[in-house]
Amino acid sequence: MYRFLLMICTLLFLLPGSQLLAGDSPQEQRHELMEQSKDAAKPVGGMLKGEMEFNAATAMASFESWATVAGEFGKLFPEGTETGYDTEAKKEIWTDRAGFEVELAKFDEAVSRAIAANPQSLDELKAAAGPVFKSCKSCHEAYRVEKE
Amino acid sequence: MRWILAGLVVAGLLFWWVTEPPSLNPAALPDHVADSANGELFFHAGSCASCHGEDLAGGLNLHSDFGTFVVPNISPDSDSGIGGWSDLAFVNAMMLGVSPGGRHYYPSFPYTSYTRMKVQDLLDLKAYLDTFQPVSNNPGPHELDFPWNVRRGIGLWKMRYLSQGPVVADTSGSSEIERGRYLVEGAGHCAECHTSRDRFGGLELNQWLAGAANPDGEGRVPNITPHQDGLAAWSESEIAYYLESGFTPDFDTVGGSMVAVQENLARLTDADRKAISAYLKSIPARP
Repeated sequence: MYRFLLMICTLLFLLPGSQLLAGDSPQEQRHELMEQSKDAAKPVGGMLKGEMEFNAATAMASFESWATVAGEFGKLFPEGTETGYDTEAKKEIWTDRAGFEVELAKFDEAVSRAIAANPQSLDELKAAAGPVFKSCKSCHEAYRVEKE
Repeated sequence: MRWILAGLVVAGLLFWWVTEPPSLNPAALPDHVADSANGELFFHAGSCASCHGEDLAGGLNLHSDFGTFVVPNISPDSDSGIGGWSDLAFVNAMMLGVSPGGRHYYPSFPYTSYTRMKVQDLLDLKAYLDTFQPVSNNPGPHELDFPWNVRRGIGLWKMRYLSQGPVVADTSGSSEIERGRYLVEGAGHCAECHTSRDRFGGLELNQWLAGAANPDGEGRVPNITPHQDGLAAWSESEIAYYLESGFTPDFDTVGGSMVAVQENLARLTDADRKAISAYLKSIPARP
């Protein structure tokens, strides 16, 4: 009896973890990468807004984080992941793949340029981050469903 | 039978009489030296270019439950645009939703909001539109289903839904909130997307700015009242910063059709964006 209970408890303990591992669907990974982008935008936005002091290393860390996202994000929209996990992906990603790829390329290029620019002042940061933010907006304009 | 016929004739005449498109008295136009710089501000506040196009030549299709509305050419072209219009014709269109030929416009053209604008600001806006290049382009008529294609019927619709008074009456004597109200309820026509509509397409004023279905597809247009489902957690300066930069307080970005609107509002003054924020924080919170 004791051994049986122990086994049940062990199974219950393992279950959530195993579910998490098995549930790393493209939809969830997409979501996580967008969260990562947002977290990276926070310090940069804070500096531009004047709420945080300029720090070149922090800004570069954000750029590197975006570069990781740029490298992975586009691969996470296979057929069959149009819905699920409350995704905000618009169906146009699948019906107008070429247009979506153009938006991804804009982001990728803007991030690469920002890294190359290696901004050392607030003005340089503004110039480097501006095109990145612009690419976020332009992709969200056409390919994200707005939910509350 | 004869009485039924007579009744129908009387009803028809009555319908024709009450739906007569009105016109402002030319004497209602003030003596005004138009200021096209002020007109440009209202051009951006109203996001004119986002529907009519950067060159104002029109052509965008707005799909709705009533059919497809085709956005007209408002460039100063005298044949296909509004080049030959008098000041009175322009003010009639913006405030009464009536064309120079005396026909009702469909409220897909949001005169239900523009009707709250001051005549002076409208004349300034016209002066700014006159600075554009004329473009010859005729985007063609709307494609609507019966009974919505009976244009005269809009006269009845206007009796119920067209009103010049402010929606949120109390501004607590604050001139900033009053300015915000003027921009949001008038030129900005925010409610046309952010407020739900009834089955006749009229705005549900008791749901003012509390969000609505996205008129152009999936998703929702968000609640922008100070309710916890809306902007309760946003400070006034965070709303103003969003309108300026496109960033939410946690640095998500603006998306969908709001991108174009935000980029227009970024061209207003800081004071006007602050006034809009103050108004949005002052209105009744609704779920």
